[in-house]
Amino acid sequence: MSDWKENDWNELVRSRLAGLALDPADRDEVQAELVAHLEETYEAFRADGLTEQHAVQRTLALAGNWQDLQRRISLAKNGGLPMKNRLHQIWFPGLLIFALFTIFLFLFEQLPFQPHLVASGIGYLPWLLPLPFLGALAAYLSFRAGGSRSASLFASLFPALGLAFAFLFMFPAGFFLERLFGWHVSFRTVATDLLRSPIISLLAPAIALLLGALPLQFLLSRRPTPSAKAIS
Amino acid sequence: MIASGIKRGTAELAVLSILESGALHGYEIARRIEDQTKGSLRFTLAALYPMLYRMEKQRWIRGAWETSPNGRRRRCYRLTPAGKKKLTPLRGEWSQLFVALRRLAGVSNV
Repeated sequence: MSDWKENDWNELVRSRLAGLALDPADRDEVQAELVAHLEETYEAFRADGLTEQHAVQRTLALAGNWQDLQRRISLAKNGGLPMKNRLHQIWFPGLLIFALFTIFLFLFEQLPFQPHLVASGIGYLPWLLPLPFLGALAAYLSFRAGGSRSASLFASLFPALGLAFAFLFMFPAGFFLERLFGWHVSFRTVATDLLRSPIISLLAPAIALLLGALPLQFLLSRRPTPSAKAIS
Repeated sequence: MIASGIKRGTAELAVLSILESGALHGYEIARRIEDQTKGSLRFTLAALYPMLYRMEKQRWIRGAWETSPNGRRRRCYRLTPAGKKKLTPLRGEWSQLFVALRRLAGVSNV
């Protein structure tokens, strides 16, 4: 049986810490660092004359409880409790721009429009124009709270996802309320609008939000590449 | 062996003190602390790395990937100006605590 190599430790660490709640880049970095540590520990044990089996056992004992290690690293890197993080990284920015999105929608509906402009989609421009700023705002707030790319993307798309959710659930909800309680619930206005033009109602706001969120994400996520230097 | 509660409290002081002499990677930090305390302070991965990451977040230390002459890549940590600033009062606090405990316990040679 051959000696344990970097790849063996790599495989072991990646499988044991697969659930590390970090950005993929951060997770890779942590895993690489732990692999290096274990590899060096193992080599030191081998140099001390331990057999391969004993060296592996002693090295693994040093790692301790992998689940505990995973949890503690996630907490240290994320700087707090996961629930608190989600609140600051997703829910707060998402709900904030959802509120602003709703206000813009309300104001837009108060504006007088010529029917042919609305029908062609041009009339929706005043409503769509501020949305990239809202997407960028959510991405910024999420990033500032330490959110990952996916968390900030989710926060930025929150209003569009909210509309899609409402669209998917309004009919079954209406059906059950009518069947169970005999209440007649009419979602006609919203539903008709969504059905008439799903592109303008769902897709266009999602794209507008992304137009603001993605460039900001790109700018914020650019990190200086660590330069390789020799250890003196 | 020193009780685990005190170990936890002294761990930050140990890491900052060890890094005062220069940049080191995680394995080397753990090895030097163990050597210099004659095995009284021994770090598991679960104790060392979360602490390093926390200290990095507090900007007391800074980690960067470096390549050693044998081509191995290691993440080396060095003390930041904020870490150096933190080390002085931390030493003072622990020194005071040890003096107080020595008086309390009546131990003459701690």
